[in-house]
Amino acid sequence: MRGGTIGVLLRHELRMLMRDTRMLLITFGVPVVVFPALIFLMRNVESREEQRLERTVFRYAVSPELDADARSLLRRVVEAGVPRDAGVEAGAVEAARPAEARNDATFRGDPTAPPPMPARFEESTDTSDTDVLVAPDPGDARTLRLAYRADDDFSRAAASELRDRLARVRNELRDSILSAAGLPVAPERVAAVESVNVATPEREGGALLGLMLMPFVLLLLLTGGSIAAVDTLSGEKERGTLETLLTTAATRHDIVRAKQLAIALLGFGLVIVNAANLLAYVVLGVVPLPESLALSLAPFDLVLIVLLLAPLTALTASALLLLSGRTSSYRDYQVAFFPLLLVFLAPALASMLPGMELRSAVAFAPVTGIGVAIRELAVGERDFPFLAIAFLSTALPALWISRLTERALSTERLIEPARARGTDAPPGHAHPSMLFPRHVLRWFALMWAAFFTVSLWLGESLELREQVVLNLVVVFGGGSLLMIRRYRLPWRETLALRRPPALAWIAVLIGAPAGYVTGIGIASLVDAFLFPVPEGVLEAFGDVMLGAELPLWQLLLFLAVLPGVLEEIAFRGVLLHGLSRRLHPLVLCLAVGAVFGLFHVSLFRIVPTAYLGTLLAAVVVLTGSIWPAMAWHALNNAIALVPAHMGWVGVDTRLPAWSYAVAVLALVASWTLLTGGHPRRHAALQGRDT
Amino acid sequence: MNSVLLPVLLYPVLLWVEITALTFVTGLSERTPARIALVDPPPAHEALLDTMSGRGAALEHARGLSPALERLDAGDLDAVVRFTPSLGEEALLADNFRAEIHYDRALERSRRARDRVDDAVSAYRDAWLGRETEALGIQPGSLEPFDVEMRNVSTGEDVGAALLSLMIPMFLVIAVALGCLVPAIDTTAGERERGTWETLLSTGASRGSIVTAKYLYVASFGAMAGVLNATAMTVVLGPVMAPLQSLQGGGPALAVSLSATTWLMMVLGAAALALFFAAAMMLLAGFAHTFKDGQAMVTPVFYLALIPLVLGQQSDRTLTPALAAIPVANVAMMIRDAIRGVFLWPMIAETLLVSGALVALCLRLARSTLGYEDFLLGAHRGGFWSFARDRMRRGRGAAPAGTEAG
Amino acid sequence: MTGAGRGVVRVEGLVKTFVDEGRGEVRAVDGIDFTCRPGEIFGLLGANGAGKTTTLRVLSTILAPTEGRAVVDGHDVVRTPEAVRRSLGFHSASTALYPRLTARETLEFFAAVNGYPAHLVEARVEALMERFGIAAWADARVDNLSSGMKQKVSIARTVAHDPPVLIFDEPSVGLDVMSALELRGLIAELRDQGKTILLSTHIMTEAERLCDRIAILHRGRILGEGTLDELRSATSLHYLEDIFVHLVRGSA
Repeated sequence: MRGGTIGVLLRHELRMLMRDTRMLLITFGVPVVVFPALIFLMRNVESREEQRLERTVFRYAVSPELDADARSLLRRVVEAGVPRDAGVEAGAVEAARPAEARNDATFRGDPTAPPPMPARFEESTDTSDTDVLVAPDPGDARTLRLAYRADDDFSRAAASELRDRLARVRNELRDSILSAAGLPVAPERVAAVESVNVATPEREGGALLGLMLMPFVLLLLLTGGSIAAVDTLSGEKERGTLETLLTTAATRHDIVRAKQLAIALLGFGLVIVNAANLLAYVVLGVVPLPESLALSLAPFDLVLIVLLLAPLTALTASALLLLSGRTSSYRDYQVAFFPLLLVFLAPALASMLPGMELRSAVAFAPVTGIGVAIRELAVGERDFPFLAIAFLSTALPALWISRLTERALSTERLIEPARARGTDAPPGHAHPSMLFPRHVLRWFALMWAAFFTVSLWLGESLELREQVVLNLVVVFGGGSLLMIRRYRLPWRETLALRRPPALAWIAVLIGAPAGYVTGIGIASLVDAFLFPVPEGVLEAFGDVMLGAELPLWQLLLFLAVLPGVLEEIAFRGVLLHGLSRRLHPLVLCLAVGAVFGLFHVSLFRIVPTAYLGTLLAAVVVLTGSIWPAMAWHALNNAIALVPAHMGWVGVDTRLPAWSYAVAVLALVASWTLLTGGHPRRHAALQGRDT
Repeated sequence: MNSVLLPVLLYPVLLWVEITALTFVTGLSERTPARIALVDPPPAHEALLDTMSGRGAALEHARGLSPALERLDAGDLDAVVRFTPSLGEEALLADNFRAEIHYDRALERSRRARDRVDDAVSAYRDAWLGRETEALGIQPGSLEPFDVEMRNVSTGEDVGAALLSLMIPMFLVIAVALGCLVPAIDTTAGERERGTWETLLSTGASRGSIVTAKYLYVASFGAMAGVLNATAMTVVLGPVMAPLQSLQGGGPALAVSLSATTWLMMVLGAAALALFFAAAMMLLAGFAHTFKDGQAMVTPVFYLALIPLVLGQQSDRTLTPALAAIPVANVAMMIRDAIRGVFLWPMIAETLLVSGALVALCLRLARSTLGYEDFLLGAHRGGFWSFARDRMRRGRGAAPAGTEAG
Repeated sequence: MTGAGRGVVRVEGLVKTFVDEGRGEVRAVDGIDFTCRPGEIFGLLGANGAGKTTTLRVLSTILAPTEGRAVVDGHDVVRTPEAVRRSLGFHSASTALYPRLTARETLEFFAAVNGYPAHLVEARVEALMERFGIAAWADARVDNLSSGMKQKVSIARTVAHDPPVLIFDEPSVGLDVMSALELRGLIAELRDQGKTILLSTHIMTEAERLCDRIAILHRGRILGEGTLDELRSATSLHYLEDIFVHLVRGSA
């Protein structure tokens, strides 16, 4: 019966889609026509560009300060016309003019040379119409300095060409000195290295194919699936047929499944059409493959790749359907689609980065994991356990989103509240604070964006104290204040400004160091197994924290006290309050911790910071007061700062294993103190609204 | 609230994803040792093995080349290095050897392993040569009669401007087209769909003023979208490139800014583009009865926005008379030149003229179309092209409807 | 509550509240009870916003009741919503037709999706088209039909799967006099076949002429219920409009 209903629904969806001929033509037909035109044009332009580069003559100028030896060297380099071994002839480097034109202080180009560069270069230091200026280094007479313009392709090419030739000449000179002195073998023949590539052309072709495959498929799944998606919920809502559908005997589940299948089919259809298109071009020679590549895949790998595309298709279909369900007209859908596209493309492009390996935390990332898995399969690497992980990491979110969509179909938001407004019931006045739980995450998302943008932009130019003030006081403090004012939140309750039970302070004293130590343990685990930290990042972080030459009391103020107060106000005050009505206390603490973690943007800091955030949230929930949490936070940061600042510990100091055990015990003790025998006063534990 | 929230959040989130992915990948590759098998390592050069281990290689000794190559093929190894004693002339140096690195060019790990071995051997070679030359009594300094240093005289602003000039024009054109798209469709097909088209037509305002108002609304929206997005990109570009640069080893600090004249050019260009796209899109979408159909009809115009992308961006190209005659591309080129500080006024004039002519053409078409009753009432079913075909077939016979679309 | 027989619709203590963002809690339906039996047209009469549509939506399982119970044809709307919908044909001004399907395809789809035996669908559809007089337009696309034809197709698709219970939410909205008359005839015919029919309307003449029993709804409450004669004797007024106004004013 189930399958039957889905079948009826699916056929119905497809029938309606197929009848929208104009849309089908635009989506399927136009690319087939337009893309070859585009590709042809681009190749044309490209080949003309290559020809231009080949016929180029680079011009160089010589500073009058250059001595005779250097000049003759240059002449030798230029006239030697050493051919490049890579077979790329960037052009002969010609002297602009022999010595006689070089007597004045300014540098002129060859009057018969191609038309001059735009006048703007006159303002640059000491260059005019030339691509490279050769001058002696003022500090070291032996050094030849090649001045070039990094923003000019020709200048860069000229400079590197000249440098390579000079280097070659220098090597020749060196070799001749060495052999004259009695070195039996030329230097490059000492410990000579030869590289042998064992990759077959098929493998290399597979590497390229694997790289492009997933983003290509994803893009088409999304654009193709959109045609179906937009019609299928937001379009139905607009036309009024959704209500008709919802009053039939079909279950919500069936309806959602049938629509998702329709979307997936259309998306996949587009993939097939375009893949066939591309294949046709390759075969016909319109799009040539680089010579060293061949395209072929083992059938088994191909099957696995197709299998991996299944959760991707499911994810795109369910995401598109959810989008359609949340928007109530075609236009709204279109507006929201572009961001969704970017949200999917970002992880897809991330999977193309060199150095991605499936056997790492990447396998757990939706979309990215699939991309990396496909890349590995395309070169014949089959890592079954991690392939399975990648599969699930994308399939499970697809199921979850599907569930959300079913729920969306059952909510009353389908029937616009406008109808409710039409009743004669006297209008109630909803207090703005009622809206806050629904809006709180959006505000924090905005704050995150502000925080991130500011630190990225101004991070370099601001000094530590200024950064702290900007981030903590303006963004967190200001944001919290704004939220409290806008939603007229009761600030005493929101910020949990109550007197905590006395034992709480002892719990803090024990718990803070314990939390810090366990946090270090967690950070090490994360580093070892999940997100290995590049050296450079660690060093940079350390520098920022300790490099500032500030007296200890200022460091403590800016890095311990201020965060302790302001971050608590924002996260364990406002955010905790906002989320407390909707979530179970445990989930609440984890959620607050997670958001807090995300604000510490670097990958390797997210998990340990989220851990700290969860602990702090728990402290507030259990004691009903924010003050212990502030103390804990400040203490935690102080513990991080002081020993390093005083030089008691260094970057490489490792904690002994037993210290972790002690820390865990201390945490347990702290927990007992916090929970034992006290009335739980935080709203989160007082029962929530249903 | 969502339509404001999404774009504001979107770019930082995407940026964050990019940076995080890069950091992750860098950390991963630093941490993963290269698995390298050595065949017949020269006993006289134990120190070389230490150098290799020091550069992140996990070494093992292999019995023979073929089994090692098999393991390389199977993916158990990243590279196989076979050492052979030097022959012929090369053997004149005591303990000289050759190293053959077998690696899989298709795999990133293997390429990295090869690079690590190559670096290690080069470092070892330099040290060895140093010892030899010293033994020969040569002063190290005299081996290098001169040194070569590269100095970039372009400022950060120049490089920034070059980068901007590559990206902004394309981006601006697409942003303007996108910015015009939804309003253009909404204000024509959307009105029909909502049923307010007839309501509007029956108000006291003249047809001409209604249409003009709509047109200006769409064009200004598009121009604004274009300028805002281009400005946002300008502003964001520095921070975007910075992590890439720092992870790749630094470079001149990118300073990105636009002068007032350049900015003005950009606004002018955006306006010209917006006027064109708005006119073309509204003309086509005016025939649709639903937003959906409208979008389908307008999409071909949108493809026009891709022209600059296709024509490519070469660093030293500027506006030429030929280029200035190509619609859309000419404006993109004009803006590009402006960013690089080049203002070729005759070319700019030509560009504006061509754009203006195009806009005038569209407006003329729109004006005559508005004169036809079946267009106004929506009785014509089909798009612009079928309408035009019908009109041409009927020749001059069918007079436009009585009311003037003034 | 057992013993709800075939085709009986029973509502007990139904309450439905909405949370409106701007205004807080709104009680659209504030505790109503009624029962309808087969072969009867039960009318819900009230002004816009009285709660008629909300009640009918609860019965058709689109909305869930906040409190109270509703049983349709022996199935509870909360516990077995699919079974309810299978026994129900729901028609309202906002249940539109799919524009790109033909009339025949529309009827086939709705019969099939509501569980009508597959091998009987074709015959059923033919019979329906005969009965409603739309056989000539069987293969025309719905969006090419006139509004009168569309209305007929709409009613036909409501009864396509032969449900015992039918709900019509303001069915004659937007219809001209002749079409409305025709519609009433159709509905009366369905009642004569033994269907249970719930009707909501704000047109007094329609309620007078068509409904067997009437409930007057105002602000989510039933102010009066019964046959027209019962209402007349209870209020000592003759015209339904007067009865309505009297009851509404009396409740203020």
